[in-house]
Amino acid sequence: MIVFARIIDGPLGAETERATRANHSAPDGPAGTDCAASVARTSAECAPPDGHAGTKRALSDGRAGAVVRFEGVVRELEPSATGTSDERTLIALDYETYDPMAQRELESLARSVASEHGLLSIVVLHSRGRVAVGETSFLLTVTAPHRAEALRALGEFIDRLKQDVPIWKRPVWAS
Amino acid sequence: MTLEVFIFGASAMQVRHDRVAVTVSDAPTAAEVLAALAKQHPVLNVEGIAARLAVNHTFATAETPIRPGDEVALIALVCGG
Repeated sequence: MIVFARIIDGPLGAETERATRANHSAPDGPAGTDCAASVARTSAECAPPDGHAGTKRALSDGRAGAVVRFEGVVRELEPSATGTSDERTLIALDYETYDPMAQRELESLARSVASEHGLLSIVVLHSRGRVAVGETSFLLTVTAPHRAEALRALGEFIDRLKQDVPIWKRPVWAS
Repeated sequence: MTLEVFIFGASAMQVRHDRVAVTVSDAPTAAEVLAALAKQHPVLNVEGIAARLAVNHTFATAETPIRPGDEVALIALVCGG
């Protein structure tokens, strides 16, 4: 099981491009790295140095039947206050994290969801700091033997992220 | 004793500061600190937002003891993703 979770400064546009390239390029050989070897031989948990390489390795082991990627993008309109339906126009969101707890909880959540749903890999990236409207602030990629567990895991991860990972967003209003 | 409690997000915007001071007994539990926060800083709406405490970067249970020097943070209404 490959688990990779990181909080990264700024928007994740470059990361989404790297994720796309990783998903569509030829897989590594099974003995490409120690991490790939442990996945192939023992399913032991390992954290590759690059998350997208982790997805690629999971896809290369022959058991993967589903790869699902979710990107969270900053919307132009947000409620003007908690609990209201009135919306205001944003120029960006400032993501505030409580470090190092946020990183630790993100990783712990990834490990927990991957284990509970039998995932082959889970790669999650979250922005810290300012992310403009239209840019990506959250990227989650899971691989699993079948689509059902991949889709369930994705939904559950996002629900629990909003309960347990100390990340807040502050709106930067257009006016 | 007086504890400093870190606050974030909407709570920090509400009080325009990143921490608040709260007066508690000498050996409080996390539940006692939350109760003191609710009483001494009603603007934080601690009871209304199902807030939890983190002690030294780990979620506390109601019974978790708070000791002098611990880093205490109010974790409420997180909204990542």
